[in-house]
Amino acid sequence: MKKYFLTRLIQLVPILFGITFLTFGMMQFAGDDAVDIIYERAGSVAEEIKAAKRAELGLDQPFVVQYGRWLGGVLTGDTGRSFISGKPVFETFAEKLPATIELMAVSLALTILIATPLGILSAVNQNRPLDWLIRALSFVGNSLPNFFVGLLLIYFLALKLNLLPIIGQSVVMPALTLTIAMGAKYTRQIRAVVLEELDKPYVVGARARGVDEVTILIKSVLRSSLIMIITLLALSMGSLLGGTAIVETIFMWDGVGKMAVDAILMRDYPLIQAYVVWMAIIYVVMNLAADLLYHWLDPRVRYGETS
Amino acid sequence: MKKFLATICAAGLLMTGCGSEQTTSTDGKTFTYGTVAYGVAMENTGTNPHESYSGWSTLRYGIGETLFKFNEHMELEPWLAESFEQVDDFTVRIKINDAATFSNGKKVDGAAVKACLDALIANHDRAPRDLKIAAIDADGQFVTIKSAEKVPALLNYLSDPYGCIVDVAAGVRDGIVVGTGAYKAVKVTDTQIDLVPNENYWGSVKPKLDKIIVKSITDGDTLTMAMQNGELDAVQGLPYASLKLFGDGYKISQADTSRVYQIAFNFKTPALQDANVRRAISMAVDKENFCKVLLDGNGTPAVGAFPANLTFGGDKVHAAPYDLDGAKKLLVDAGWADSDGDGFVDKDGKNLELNYLTYTSRQELPLLAEAAQANLKLIGVKLNVNATDNYKAFLKSGDYDLFSKAIVTAPTGDPEYYFTSHIVPGAVDNAGNYDSEQIAALENELHNTFGATERSALAIKMSQQILDDCALIYASHLRMSFVMKPNVEGFKAHPSDYYEITPELDLR
Repeated sequence: MKKYFLTRLIQLVPILFGITFLTFGMMQFAGDDAVDIIYERAGSVAEEIKAAKRAELGLDQPFVVQYGRWLGGVLTGDTGRSFISGKPVFETFAEKLPATIELMAVSLALTILIATPLGILSAVNQNRPLDWLIRALSFVGNSLPNFFVGLLLIYFLALKLNLLPIIGQSVVMPALTLTIAMGAKYTRQIRAVVLEELDKPYVVGARARGVDEVTILIKSVLRSSLIMIITLLALSMGSLLGGTAIVETIFMWDGVGKMAVDAILMRDYPLIQAYVVWMAIIYVVMNLAADLLYHWLDPRVRYGETS
Repeated sequence: MKKFLATICAAGLLMTGCGSEQTTSTDGKTFTYGTVAYGVAMENTGTNPHESYSGWSTLRYGIGETLFKFNEHMELEPWLAESFEQVDDFTVRIKINDAATFSNGKKVDGAAVKACLDALIANHDRAPRDLKIAAIDADGQFVTIKSAEKVPALLNYLSDPYGCIVDVAAGVRDGIVVGTGAYKAVKVTDTQIDLVPNENYWGSVKPKLDKIIVKSITDGDTLTMAMQNGELDAVQGLPYASLKLFGDGYKISQADTSRVYQIAFNFKTPALQDANVRRAISMAVDKENFCKVLLDGNGTPAVGAFPANLTFGGDKVHAAPYDLDGAKKLLVDAGWADSDGDGFVDKDGKNLELNYLTYTSRQELPLLAEAAQANLKLIGVKLNVNATDNYKAFLKSGDYDLFSKAIVTAPTGDPEYYFTSHIVPGAVDNAGNYDSEQIAALENELHNTFGATERSALAIKMSQQILDDCALIYASHLRMSFVMKPNVEGFKAHPSDYYEITPELDLR
């Protein structure tokens, strides 16, 4: 296990190197840079002044030199300062992360709480009205884009029913927005995997032995389905920890997704790079955690494989 | 199943209870203001006027004040300064109001102003270039500023938001400065500023509210619904389409700003070197309907670069009128006629087809492009619109015949900035490569002329010259709107876009 763990961590190095290099390279293709953006609001600024600012920020250096300097800084624990705010990148990131983690945790908890029973109910009532209803709802939930769901929730829950505030720092509406799309997807997946398990010989055998249906579902079927649920969770956690820019913007949720979009708009390279590193790390870590959980849930699964 | 539903409800209630924040207060007057103009992308988070554009937040939200302020005609009036004396072309002596104090109770004297301006010059990236200050001397309530070169608009520049006078000795803590305004910040984040009254406020009108929450809301729909829901007392930056929702039961305050939507002719394009062609195109743009229909009344048709509320703007100048028949005749006079019946005028076998460059980050510009395209088709001119946020690459390559942009022409109430940046030969943003000897001579005169009246007269001459040469088309001036609940008093849109929260603000 240790060897496997170490191998995965070592794999992180070329991944990080590759994607940061690629991101840095792609940013060079933009028609403008942070200096253009900084001075855009100032109206007309002479090229000499912009050139001086570029020199100050090191943007006048060749691409490889800029990348090398950034990489050197990161390896020595210095992620640099934001071109726009001048604040240390690490500090900015650390300020935004708790909000993102809170939103992720609540959204995932709600998703599991809603999707698991609905998926099971749908499966055990296959091709009956309840199944049709759940499938129809999950189809709608899957089809609606997040921004639209967010606006619908604001309209109905806040504006029409006056149940929740729009601008208060409540996690409920942004979390519900994310839950509707994720829950719809999870419900269908759980339904499919439960149906598959229900046809397996061990379930037929349990039924023949007189084990009641609820025990079969909870102790056997659900446990077997957990591997698929964990795979989904690992992917969802990865994307949620990267922030959900649209939802964060609609609800003014001050997380890393909104920060990343702002950084891209402002061509704030140090912040963009930090975000890219963060995304790479969380995806690798989440996949690793999922692999470890697979093995724990089903010892037949070897590290790096699913059943 | 029942247990499950109960769990969901409990979780929801728990989260609502834990996370929600009351935006209204029962034990005092709380004003909650939603705005799209505060945030990281605006570079104005924080309240330190010596950083980037944060001074806009200091000034807009009533935390700081400048030495002079603009009235509704963008003329200067004393504020923290009581009076000034132009000692010579390079020296101005300003007397600070004896009553002025910072929110920490410290007196605002010449030394405090000098310390603040010294810090401004040392730390701000734009201020040193504008102010060109060589030396500052403080003496009691007086401060004397010596410029390295003639800066007739020095007092205007000192009234820019970066010129907010703050107590430098008190420092900056968590983005909070000690200013002289009616309110002081108690909490500053990237998305919100919380304000409380300045109990030491020196002005004759004292702050009337107990708490103000300035909330950044960048999504137009969220902003609209938060206002409809009653969670906000006032909003700035509503989408044009949403403004109609706030008729009866709301108050609206509007002001014409000096932000103009202009179209520059590229003088390097052979067809546009003919003044008749430029004039014909200018006469074909229907500004009235553009403002009325496409901008939903949120703009006023422009004549020149400056709006009517400026002494050198509005109808002080005159442009070619909207006249399709006249435009067609001018094209014929210039040798352009539709000889092949394809609907577009041609000359020497080539249609009059022009590339129109603009960008999309200001919602009005693509609309103007479409309007111009439709308008010019009526006189047989074909416009190919290139609306891209990568427009700078096209500007560098020169691949355009017309370039449309939005620009604030008189941010500090003085016209010179616009001429030196966009109009004079070789100016950084002279995208049309307009080269006029008369303009160059007049600008030289303007640069050496002191006094608002004299400068205003010169600005009118220059604006008229631009229009006579048909160098640019000025389509519209932006009209800024604040929407508020009927019980809000003293919240008025100002043409400068600088002053929002003032001591007069109240909730009845």
